Amino acid sequence: MNRLILTLAMTATMAALFLPNRAAAQVPPPAKRAKHVRIVEAPQVEMSTDHLTIIRWTTNNPGGSDEHYGVVQYGTDPKDLNKTAKSPIRLNQGHAHTTFRVRVDDLEPQTTYYYRVATEESGGRRDPLKSPISKFITPGPGERIPASPQRGRGVQPIARQ
Amino acid sequence: MKVLLQTCAVVAVPLLLVSCSGANAADPASPPTYNPYPSGILPADVESETARVQSEVQSIFQQALAEANALPPATVTGQPPTQQGSGYQSIATLGKLMNFDVNMSALKNMACASCHMPYAGFGGPIPSVNLTMIAYPGTYHFRAGKRTPPRYTYSPFFPALAYDDTAAAFFGGNFWDGRSTGYLLQSPDAEQAQHPPLDSQEMGLPDSACIAWRLSQSQYVAIFERVWGAGSLTGINFPSNTEQICSTPAGAASFGTSVTPVNLSPTDRNRANVIFDHWGQSISAFEKSKQVSAFTSKFDAYLENQYTMTSDELAGYNLFKGKGNCNSCHLDGRGTTLTPGQTDNSTAAQANPLFTCFGYTNEGLPLNPRDAFYYQTTPDALGFTPNPDGFGYRDLALGTFLRSGYGSAPNPNAEWIPLAPKSDGRFQVATARNAAMAPSQCPTTEAPGPYFQKGFFHNGYIKSLKQLVHFYNTRDVFPFAVTSGHCPAGTTEKVDCWPMPEVTNNLDMTTGKLGLTDQEENQIVAFLQTLTDGYTTPYPNIDSFTGQCTTGGTASTQGNETLIPTPPLPPCSSNVCAIAPFPNPAIP
Repeated sequence: MNRLILTLAMTATMAALFLPNRAAAQVPPPAKRAKHVRIVEAPQVEMSTDHLTIIRWTTNNPGGSDEHYGVVQYGTDPKDLNKTAKSPIRLNQGHAHTTFRVRVDDLEPQTTYYYRVATEESGGRRDPLKSPISKFITPGPGERIPASPQRGRGVQPIARQ
Repeated sequence: MKVLLQTCAVVAVPLLLVSCSGANAADPASPPTYNPYPSGILPADVESETARVQSEVQSIFQQALAEANALPPATVTGQPPTQQGSGYQSIATLGKLMNFDVNMSALKNMACASCHMPYAGFGGPIPSVNLTMIAYPGTYHFRAGKRTPPRYTYSPFFPALAYDDTAAAFFGGNFWDGRSTGYLLQSPDAEQAQHPPLDSQEMGLPDSACIAWRLSQSQYVAIFERVWGAGSLTGINFPSNTEQICSTPAGAASFGTSVTPVNLSPTDRNRANVIFDHWGQSISAFEKSKQVSAFTSKFDAYLENQYTMTSDELAGYNLFKGKGNCNSCHLDGRGTTLTPGQTDNSTAAQANPLFTCFGYTNEGLPLNPRDAFYYQTTPDALGFTPNPDGFGYRDLALGTFLRSGYGSAPNPNAEWIPLAPKSDGRFQVATARNAAMAPSQCPTTEAPGPYFQKGFFHNGYIKSLKQLVHFYNTRDVFPFAVTSGHCPAGTTEKVDCWPMPEVTNNLDMTTGKLGLTDQEENQIVAFLQTLTDGYTTPYPNIDSFTGQCTTGGTASTQGNETLIPTPPLPPCSSNVCAIAPFPNPAIP
């Protein structure tokens, strides 16, 4: 009898192991878009080498698509920001603020660049963000500004658009 | 009770009897070993370790056979016909048999499980392979793939690949590059199970009809027909040379360009295709069962108030969803805006958090020059060359798949092709669940151990969870314009030197400079370890590992002794980077 109970218990255990698990999860919907998007930490150079600069800034959480892009429009003439760099980030729907970081590649050493920032949803819709034009200077060949930014290091706001 | 047992016995006997039929086909002869590798690329123990895993696989296959023979009698009733009571158990048991059946490879020496064992979270089971060549040897020794084997656990929960217009992003699918879309079976996991058996560098069957053929010769014909109906596996008029064809690894020059070398009538071809679909669906049922996707971790117990996290685990969880921002992609389904003392009663986006967003991202992993794929540039004895481009290959992942590109699979949706440049370099966001799973006797992935060596991310460049978190934390703090193996003197690779990404297009910048301290990194690792199944209920076959644990060293530099210098990289091959729509910017 004990053997019978043991056999049935094993059968029940194996059956339980073969049962399917919970229902498939769904892709979470995008968060509601914020009415106003404002910069709460100004754009700054996070790290810079002679050919690469990372610009970072923080806004309130803009909502909308979870995948967002930080956008840096830049150039050597403050009146002609003729190049654009974009980097994807993921919003965290549970966070009040969002830090955007953008890689700006293929820069010339020891050159002054002017730029302003924007943010947009993955589909290209721009968030309502106002950004000043700032500038940074790339280091000399082989030099590097390390990734331990002090606020505003290497960056000077020159105008508000 | 007695009647029930007698009935079981009556059912079990036919299963066993049928199991012996057709099992006497001669094992195919192996072609000469393919070894295009420079000294040191193949681990010294690759043959003994492959044999060790095969023994473990066969042991679990016998276990599955016993479970099949212990199934209660099948009662099919109703419209549509349903196997009442035991349907789930039957199909999952069938899937388990298939998953651990070494006869489902061309040379009958490799099962699906050969690259996906339970004690590794159904990921790669050979520590030395994970440490070095990262892609697993296939049925034809030693052809190998190009990426690490993704973990099975929770893969059935991924939806079919879709481009979500609202989110303007891809979600779902299976595989690192999403090439198993689920478009036909509406289960990417079921379709995933159809790929490795036909992959020339994996199980190597040259024709999907070989699955129907080998199943018809298997020891579990009866349970297949119990699940899929009487006659569902028999009746195909296979030509007399079928076994000869099926035991010739895919890619052999003798096949020419044919992808259907088994000559079947249109009617029989359709029947074979249906069986092939049932193969995938059965394996997916197994992978969705609690034998694989168990939801039995400490974290699951924590959500049920059945486990109290340690202070480090809890700190790690708070970092995971706070400063570390890990849960922006590895969704934990919980609210993140709590203040001290507040109770988490958030409306979770997911009732069963899977710790993935089902999305795709480029984290900027450096090219791993130990990946066996780069060295397979010469033809093997069958005239097949796995990678004619050598180090000219670049892994654009989802982008290459959308172009139906080299080394991926046909993209079944032409509307997605223009999205390829936006997808270059993006790999699937794996679930964080079971990343830390390791065998009972070496129950950690972290040095000094005793530990079980794993390889993380698609190319196995990262060797410990500590390194994984440190990479997310400092990729952009210690970037160097060098390839792996060339960090400047005075720096230590993976500690204060990260080589440049293999692909910079679409590089995700959510992470890269998180500002975590060393202690905080360790706390996130401690939290990740709470996501390992087997806490509330023992994880099936977690103790099936018969190999050796590793000890010594530190998690920060784990595996660094095997770093080799990346050779000078030729430009990206035209097979990869010159397929429209072109990568933007161009990939060097």
